[in-house]
Amino acid sequence: MADILSVVLWALSFVLQLQAAGVVFFAAAFGPALTISLASVRSLARITAIAAFFVAAAHYFLDAARMAGDLSGVFDSSLQDLAWKSSTGGAFSVRELGLLLIIAGTQTSSVRLTADRFFKASTALSPGLWLKRLSSRGFTIAGVSGAVLVAASFTLTGHTSTSGWRWLLAPLLLAHLLIVAFWFGSLGPLYVVTLRESRERTARVVALFSAAAFWLVPLILLAGVAMAVLLLPSVAALWQPWGEIVIAKGGLFAVLLALAAFNKWRFGPALGNGDLSAGRTFRHMVIAEYALIVVVLCATAVMTTFFSPE
Amino acid sequence: MRYMRIVGGLVLALAATAASAHAHLKKAVPADGAVLSSPPASVVLSFSEPATLTACWLQKGDGPKEKITGLATTPEQQISVQVPKLEAGSYVLSWRVVGDDGHVLPGQIHFTVSAQH
Repeated sequence: MADILSVVLWALSFVLQLQAAGVVFFAAAFGPALTISLASVRSLARITAIAAFFVAAAHYFLDAARMAGDLSGVFDSSLQDLAWKSSTGGAFSVRELGLLLIIAGTQTSSVRLTADRFFKASTALSPGLWLKRLSSRGFTIAGVSGAVLVAASFTLTGHTSTSGWRWLLAPLLLAHLLIVAFWFGSLGPLYVVTLRESRERTARVVALFSAAAFWLVPLILLAGVAMAVLLLPSVAALWQPWGEIVIAKGGLFAVLLALAAFNKWRFGPALGNGDLSAGRTFRHMVIAEYALIVVVLCATAVMTTFFSPE
Repeated sequence: MRYMRIVGGLVLALAATAASAHAHLKKAVPADGAVLSSPPASVVLSFSEPATLTACWLQKGDGPKEKITGLATTPEQQISVQVPKLEAGSYVLSWRVVGDDGHVLPGQIHFTVSAQH
């Protein structure tokens, strides 16, 4: 029971954390190109980060239950102490700090409203405008720092943290997760952008995202293969559960790449050409990509909870 | 072609030397599946790396799982579990350990105490 609950919470937490981090990256990268959808994008990051904060906490407290073999372990102070002093406790602290920074970094709309209330006559030199500009930059830095901390927290525990190849595995895992977060976290905002922004603006944002993803997404595969090579003790270990899940992830990744290629070369340009049905098809493809990445993340949660590369 | 061979060789070299980082059971005394003529006073579990035993149970046949208390609280590569005086029958010793990487791993061994003693 504790194991099942733990892996369900871990999968949910994994999805929420990477989405919160990714939406922040999207807002930082493409925010200047957005108008009416920017507030919704920031709200998505904030709500996801709040949910991730509580789900990650619930998962962390369940670790003691997994140690005890039943749910009563949650109330065992010695086991909670052991979890806190282990690498799990360190990773949890960094993760929660990162999520808090994301929550704080996506509060710009409330600051903007406050600035507007106190400094109604905004001119180029008005304090209100400067406050808005400064706060916007500060909040972006806080949000992006939080997103990087969330991704970095995964390098503090698990297989990569005790391996002799840690010096190489940690940056590989960090790069892998940062790009996955950017890709996965951009899908929700892209969906919102196609619904709310003008045709020209939508086409521009999709083109900018596709250009960035074209160079970044292959690095997910490169980093993933490099990590598998470093962690797997032999080629035969590929046919053990951990290796089989890695192979399944690779297969799903290939399907995802095909969907992303369709979006870049078929539906993205069609959006710019004013094809009315392209927007709907693009959104369907985005939902399909989102669902497939969720499956990959859930498989990763099962893999990292129950299996090891042996 | 030569370049591919160099890259392939590097990949194989890395794969061959990669250290596996997990506290998995390397050896148990009595061994898994052992048939003992006399009951053991303890079970010794040897792991691939230091691990902390967080829970341990002993089950006789289809009976209830009895929790073993008084476990060591420090990480050890070799952990000795004191078991109560055992009667003849088949037993399952199961446990949970936490490794350095923070992973909680379950495990179990089966052994039988014969009726000869």
